[in-house]
Amino acid sequence: MPVAVGPYGQSQPSCFDRVKMGFVMGCAVGMAAGALFGTFSCLRIGMRGRELMGGIGKTMMQSGGTFGTFMAIGMGIRC
Amino acid sequence: MEEYAREPCPWRIVDDCGGAFTMGVIGGGVFQAIKGFRNAPVGIRHRFRGSVNAVRIRAPQIGGSFAVWGGLFSTIDCGLVRLRGKEDPWNSISSGALTGAVLAARSGPLAMVGSAMMGGILLALIEGVGILLTRYTAQQFRNAPPFLEDPSQLTPKEGSPAPGYPNYQQYH
Repeated sequence: MPVAVGPYGQSQPSCFDRVKMGFVMGCAVGMAAGALFGTFSCLRIGMRGRELMGGIGKTMMQSGGTFGTFMAIGMGIRC
Repeated sequence: MEEYAREPCPWRIVDDCGGAFTMGVIGGGVFQAIKGFRNAPVGIRHRFRGSVNAVRIRAPQIGGSFAVWGGLFSTIDCGLVRLRGKEDPWNSISSGALTGAVLAARSGPLAMVGSAMMGGILLALIEGVGILLTRYTAQQFRNAPPFLEDPSQLTPKEGSPAPGYPNYQQYH
């Protein structure tokens, strides 16, 4: 976990900061995964062009939101 | 999940299994609460009861799935640590792939390959984000020196060394 570094030493981030960081990381992983798997599944369905981009975007948001929530919870229970 | 200090093997298996179960129950509870609320008949009492019922029934199942995945992942991870004698991201990625494969065994070899790829890719992404985060933290640490230079810059402005010295101490 990142530690807040200042000129007068280090301080441990609060639980809320850890949960927030977990959520951000989870969203990043989830959106990347959504982009990969979403591309594959949408292409297989036969989407093309704007419809394809829309489908991938939707998958990315769903995946990012779900993954972010779960990783935030994971960080929270370890505070 | 390298964002926190993990227990050494084999206690890590128990720790990760419990942690995964908790994540599944809480996360599953959140999503099932929303789903139950939306699927219930109109009326605040109906919706609330729908929410509670959905959570009560589905959350433990979701938690169980997470626990199985987490427990198996950690077991394989610890096995690889023992076999290879070192701990690095490749252990996690391999464990993710193998876990996916094992849990899809009932569906046949083709599904095993697909699940293994998905597991491996997912763990690779998690490791990748973790590494980027580590670099970001290191970058933040490197930005600290500019702050430390400010107090010393104030010292010459004092002119005489005598008053400057206490001021210098004050900043540190």
